[in-house]
Amino acid sequence: MAKQKLSGAEIVVEELKTEGAEVAFGIPGGALLDLYDVLYKEEAIRHILMRHEQCAAHAADGYARVSGKAGVCIATSGPGATNLVTGLANANMDSSPVVALTGQVPTSVIGTNAFQEASTFTITMPITKHNFLVKRTEDLPKVIHNAFYIANTGRKGVVLVDLPTDILAGVAEVDLHPKETFAGYKPNIKPNQVQIKRVVEVLANAERPLILAGGGVISADAAEELRHLADFLGAPVVTTLMGKGAIPENHPFCLGMAGMHGQLYANRAINECDALLALGTRFSDRTTGWQLDQFAPDATLIHVDIDTAEINKNMQVDIPIVGDVKLALSGILKLLEKKRAKKSGSEWEKRIKKMHSACDSCVEDISMEGASVSDMLIKEISRILDDDAIVTTEVGQCQMFAAHYYMTRKPRTFISSGGLGTMGFGFPAAIGAKVAAPDKKVVDIAGDGSFLMTCQDMATCVENDIPVVVCIFDNRYLGMVRQWQELFYEKKYAHTGLGITPDFVKLAGAFGCYSERVEKPEDLKDALNNAFESGKPAVLDMIVGKEDKVLPMIPPGGGITGMIGTERCKHI
Amino acid sequence: MQTHIISLLVEDNPGVLTRMSGMFTQRGINITSLTVSPCEKEGLSRMTVAIEGSESELEMVRKQLSNLIEVVKVVDLKESEAIIRDLCLLKVHAKDPEARSEVMQLAEAYGAKILDATLDSVTLELKEEPKKIDRFVDLMRHFGVKQLFRTGVTAIGIGIGVGAGAGGGVEK
Repeated sequence: MAKQKLSGAEIVVEELKTEGAEVAFGIPGGALLDLYDVLYKEEAIRHILMRHEQCAAHAADGYARVSGKAGVCIATSGPGATNLVTGLANANMDSSPVVALTGQVPTSVIGTNAFQEASTFTITMPITKHNFLVKRTEDLPKVIHNAFYIANTGRKGVVLVDLPTDILAGVAEVDLHPKETFAGYKPNIKPNQVQIKRVVEVLANAERPLILAGGGVISADAAEELRHLADFLGAPVVTTLMGKGAIPENHPFCLGMAGMHGQLYANRAINECDALLALGTRFSDRTTGWQLDQFAPDATLIHVDIDTAEINKNMQVDIPIVGDVKLALSGILKLLEKKRAKKSGSEWEKRIKKMHSACDSCVEDISMEGASVSDMLIKEISRILDDDAIVTTEVGQCQMFAAHYYMTRKPRTFISSGGLGTMGFGFPAAIGAKVAAPDKKVVDIAGDGSFLMTCQDMATCVENDIPVVVCIFDNRYLGMVRQWQELFYEKKYAHTGLGITPDFVKLAGAFGCYSERVEKPEDLKDALNNAFESGKPAVLDMIVGKEDKVLPMIPPGGGITGMIGTERCKHI
Repeated sequence: MQTHIISLLVEDNPGVLTRMSGMFTQRGINITSLTVSPCEKEGLSRMTVAIEGSESELEMVRKQLSNLIEVVKVVDLKESEAIIRDLCLLKVHAKDPEARSEVMQLAEAYGAKILDATLDSVTLELKEEPKKIDRFVDLMRHFGVKQLFRTGVTAIGIGIGVGAGAGGGVEK
């Protein structure tokens, strides 16, 4: 293709389109006037004006997790860029592909404390997979191409491109759509066949195999392969928080989420297995607990991950496979099917079925005797929503109630801030989710504390007709911290009480949202129906027990067999 | 704790040093010596980093450095398989003629060059293995070291195929 004479801003927008970006979440500013001048005329990219840059990053993150494509967010120089930081750190920690574009002061004044100048390049270095400070307009095609390539390949993550105003305004003759990349960037995709053989050997002979599915299974679109392998092996599947949705939780071999707030028997199964196949997970302490001698003590540990740096980081493993989870699973299945017949009817399988029947998120009509209002509300949401509905969560108790009770049935339908634990994530992530999947119901499971951190973006929802439903678990506390104060700090509720304001029904009403208060769990069904039927963004203020606790849990310092608060659990 | 020498081949872009050193900062590892210089291939730089740490810390750092987009190669150079050099400039107190001649004798024994001598000091240059320089500096402290400058460690693998060379070496 012949060289074209274009402005920097035009090049950015052309390359965004080539990379398949259809939506951008952003807020303009002085340093971005040239970019927005081009976006103004551009019909192929839908720009959604957010009300805070943090929300722009979370929305791009939510969009990416639901669509599987990189999300794009835009913020201006200085405060715009620093406001993005939390959202970018969040996305990067959960390996979500996001491309962030930030304005920057002109190259001639960088480093002079110019108006709205911040060193975005250095600030974002440790919280991105890679970042660029563009110094020449003619570099833009390569930079934008690489931003998407790096964000979307290998272990996915965040790439930020810092764009000084003179680079955007400058004109250059360029070849669009370059293919060149970095000599040192070669994501490990193809798993090693020798390692696969070793894994098959172990799995074929295991009596009590178990699969631990992390977010990497969803990110690699490997849910189908996972299910085949579980069926073939007669192996139970437990998930991490990020792995929720990797297998339908009502699948008879699913034991729900493991870990600190996981299912009692998901944790027991990890303790009992003799071969553990961990897929796309980093063995976070929230999954393993702190007494590692309780974590699969009798098992051969197999770890499949696309990131070499995850192998032996948190857990010493016996057989590592570095590569794409989907390719590794197909490879394992292919060899395994040759090696032996499908296994069924084993003692382990009988035990799995029993354990499955005691899993709070796996069984729709499980007994809720002794459950708190919060427990019951999540179970109710789980029953009302269809298989395709998308749930996002804020962070804290509401998140762990959801993780524990919500039955996730499909990949990319449970969106939560796993690594960073960002309060205020769920609502803007729901906006991104709804934009990615406008035909699906999107519900944010929120706490009153979290929602107040990003609720200004109700304006975005109303203005852009993005009808997400926020279900606030309203206990007027920063509930998870309060729970820890109750259990481990002698009930000294230091600064976790939120007082009585605001009135969320009125607040949402003032933004033009549909809003309703839900006093009792049995009223939720009608309220949710009203919310969906209103066709508007909606807020349901659900009054829950002030001192509801998320139980069972592994207490700090404990191991996976040491859960407390198991009285309510079904015991088998 | 043990000294490890990591040799890196990186793209010569602004910010790559911050990116690399940030990796150590995040993990709370202290860099004891660092050199950056051009190498045989245009557009690439070579960094030689010495750190103190355990084997497992080294393994982690090596993998995480490899993950950096602009890092082309990472090699962990073992002392026994590499030629390691450091250059030291030091100014030693030597007011007393007897001390001065002793300093000069020791310098000769260690192969240090005398760059300058005044009535109260001698300036020396020693290009050697870091450990030998350590010993020499310790000796000179006996007379009083006014100023000490070291360039930091640089290292090259013995034979073919060791060291983060543009050809050979260990691929990421």
